[in-house]
Amino acid sequence: MVSIGLPGGEQVRDMLAAQVAGAGGGFTFKGPAQPVLSSGFRALDRLLPAEGVRRGSLLEWLAATEASGAAALACAVACRMAATPAGGAILVVDRRGLFHPPAVLPWLEEACGGRGEALAGRLVVARPNRDDDEVWAIDQALRCAGVAAVLAWPQRVHPTAMRRWQLAAKAGGAVGLLVRPQAARRESSWAEARVRVSGALEAGRTDSLSLRRLRLALVGGPWMGEGHMEERTADIVLDLARGRDGTLPERDVALLRSLPQQGAAQREGKAVCRAS
Amino acid sequence: MPRIMTIWLPRWPVQRRLRESPELRHAPLFVCRHEPRGVMRVVAWAWAVPAPGESGATRSRSRPAERGRPAARIVAGMSLAEALAVLAQSDGSRACHRAEIVADDPVADREGIEEVARWCRRFAPLVAVESAGRPECVHVDVTGTAEFFGGEETLVRTAVWTLQARGIHARAAIADTIGAGWAAARHTDFRPPPAGHPAGHPALPARHRRCAIVPPADQMAALAHLPAAALRLEGDCLARLSEVGVDTIGGVGKLPRKSLPSRFGPQLARRLAQCSGTLAEPLETPCGGELPQASQAFDFPLLLRDLTQESLGALVQRLVEACMAPLAAAGKGVTALQVRLESSRSRAGQKGAQEGAREACPPTVIDVGLFRPSAAVGHLAELIRLRMARAHLPREISGIVVDVVAVGPVAARQRMLFGEVAEATASQVGLLLDRLSGRLGRSAVFEPKLLADAQPEHAWLAVPPAASGRLPAGGRQGAKTRACALPAGGRFPERRPICLLPRPVRLEAVAVVPDGPPVRFQYEGQTHHIAQARGPERIETAWWRGPCVRRDYYVVDTSAGDRYWLFRRLQDGGWFLHGRFA
Repeated sequence: MVSIGLPGGEQVRDMLAAQVAGAGGGFTFKGPAQPVLSSGFRALDRLLPAEGVRRGSLLEWLAATEASGAAALACAVACRMAATPAGGAILVVDRRGLFHPPAVLPWLEEACGGRGEALAGRLVVARPNRDDDEVWAIDQALRCAGVAAVLAWPQRVHPTAMRRWQLAAKAGGAVGLLVRPQAARRESSWAEARVRVSGALEAGRTDSLSLRRLRLALVGGPWMGEGHMEERTADIVLDLARGRDGTLPERDVALLRSLPQQGAAQREGKAVCRAS
Repeated sequence: MPRIMTIWLPRWPVQRRLRESPELRHAPLFVCRHEPRGVMRVVAWAWAVPAPGESGATRSRSRPAERGRPAARIVAGMSLAEALAVLAQSDGSRACHRAEIVADDPVADREGIEEVARWCRRFAPLVAVESAGRPECVHVDVTGTAEFFGGEETLVRTAVWTLQARGIHARAAIADTIGAGWAAARHTDFRPPPAGHPAGHPALPARHRRCAIVPPADQMAALAHLPAAALRLEGDCLARLSEVGVDTIGGVGKLPRKSLPSRFGPQLARRLAQCSGTLAEPLETPCGGELPQASQAFDFPLLLRDLTQESLGALVQRLVEACMAPLAAAGKGVTALQVRLESSRSRAGQKGAQEGAREACPPTVIDVGLFRPSAAVGHLAELIRLRMARAHLPREISGIVVDVVAVGPVAARQRMLFGEVAEATASQVGLLLDRLSGRLGRSAVFEPKLLADAQPEHAWLAVPPAASGRLPAGGRQGAKTRACALPAGGRFPERRPICLLPRPVRLEAVAVVPDGPPVRFQYEGQTHHIAQARGPERIETAWWRGPCVRRDYYVVDTSAGDRYWLFRRLQDGGWFLHGRFA
């Protein structure tokens, strides 16, 4: 009698998890290796699937409200990307014309080591008047090898456009930081990770003006069985005066600046989600 | 009789520098030349104001000169020290401290005005720059071309406002002669005195007029009331005329012609004859003879519907290649070029028109500008394609002309065998910026530069990107360095939101203490309860711009964890939302 080795329950679960991971969300990334950089925030690095920000990928920041701090965190990560040795420019695609550079330029100066002349050409703003121009501008910026990060606030994104952006980022090596409303959670996405950002205010605690507490939640994690999607969360403190992790001591900040790949090994392209 | 359109670019040395360095608009700008013994003479000066749309700011009024105080009377040729003293007297010593002083660069000024002249070929092919030591006028021979633009009035207005759209303040006039056009362009704000006006009294000024049309064959009568200086006379000749009580062109015209050379020198008679048309004054060597131009005319007009984008793009690319060949050999690249699609329409149905007759239409002009010189044909062709995709093309094309307007040296880059070259990525960013500006428009792509201004609407300025990081030609290094480095006033990003509303939104807010922070406010139909409020940060400024801004700003955290930037207007106690810490 020939015994047919049917896969057991655990094997079936692993197979299904691999298929779900490959079906959407972009967690499985096949292709040439892309360096993974630290976002500058330890808790955020632990939250992201690649344990850092992978160059040539998209990250979606789902803002709980319009004043939740998602854009600030995205700007801080963008400054971090521009300050790495590979460097590059930050391109802000400001469709609505609300971006206020005085809130970000000091962060960029701080990230670049406090050299005023180093800011020339580091931050460029594009203001398209139409939605199709916005899609095109983001695509062109992601394709450019000299761009470190693209920051945009697209409101309505067609899945085809998002896929175009993912391929453009993969080709150019830039990081796409898309700040979107929370309602976009129901849409499909080609981003490597979707992080919901909301402000965190502890009752009875008074924070200084320069610190902002944010609660992050990774949206759409792998299905872990038992009918629920695991949601991984993290709390961070954003130092608004310098655009960096407010919990890091000074010496670690300097170390982080000099070693962009600290704590994140280069992977072959397959992101692994680990339960926290 | 020929018709000449004269376009006057007032204070061109200052205008050129303001175009290259917009951050110089916020302070009095003096262009000076060095003379022996360390004396500095003012060549031109201005105190511009920011245009609407720069840094999201609303238009603000000019300096206190518009509020009843006399304007500073600073003239070219005055010493810098004297000019600053006059400025301090009229606008206060603070204006002198903020003044920017840049060195005179006549070569760059001439190159700049020649570039403008080449751009003006969109109106007519024959263009020349004023033949003077420091030209400020461009002459365009519009004989027979005005009808393409709907008449002379429309043509001259189009010229002025298209230049204005490019950031160039200009005045224009059309007349039979260069001299008459020069006079009318410089005095477009003068209108003839009404009937019964006392003779010899200066004509009444008409404000906000930038265009003038001098009737054909009647220029002397039309210009009679203008001052004698409008005849392009030297200072000593004007002094002699004023000694005899002649101060208008009409008065000069009444003088006996035979005695003019002996009494006032040969220049007066020559200028008077040139103005009246009795002495011919042809346009000098047409501008742009040194820059390449390529054109292709078709025997039969091509219908746009029969042309694919690729075939039209291929035609244009061939012409661009023809233009680039001599430039590439000289190590130069293009920084601005113009593509003109010439078209014509059938005259069928018009009275007296022969069968098959056609009449020319105004060309469709596509301007392409680059942030850094490029000799790459493919890149230029792509930029043209992006602009053509946005332009309204004519139904029929009878010819295509590609005209190089401005060139610059192309930096040679040595290829490395291993590894990336930082310059290569910088050049890629430059190409990206060219593509973005080609499709979105040059004003839609910029770098933000912080300014030392407390008012949030004026805290930064949009400047053209400097992808190469080089200083703009003719700019003052000190000013550029200051614009790059963050001003001390801008070093508190924790107090500034990432999203700033273009106009503050009025709120209904409730504060427990009349001068204290709010405890709740309503915005977009929701009530927000404030958990923490930090402030006030008082901003009182802009007294020199008009209505003073007096605001108490608060950074507030709501119970939901959101952070907003509110202010109370001190004049009336009203609460406004100005930004979101998004």
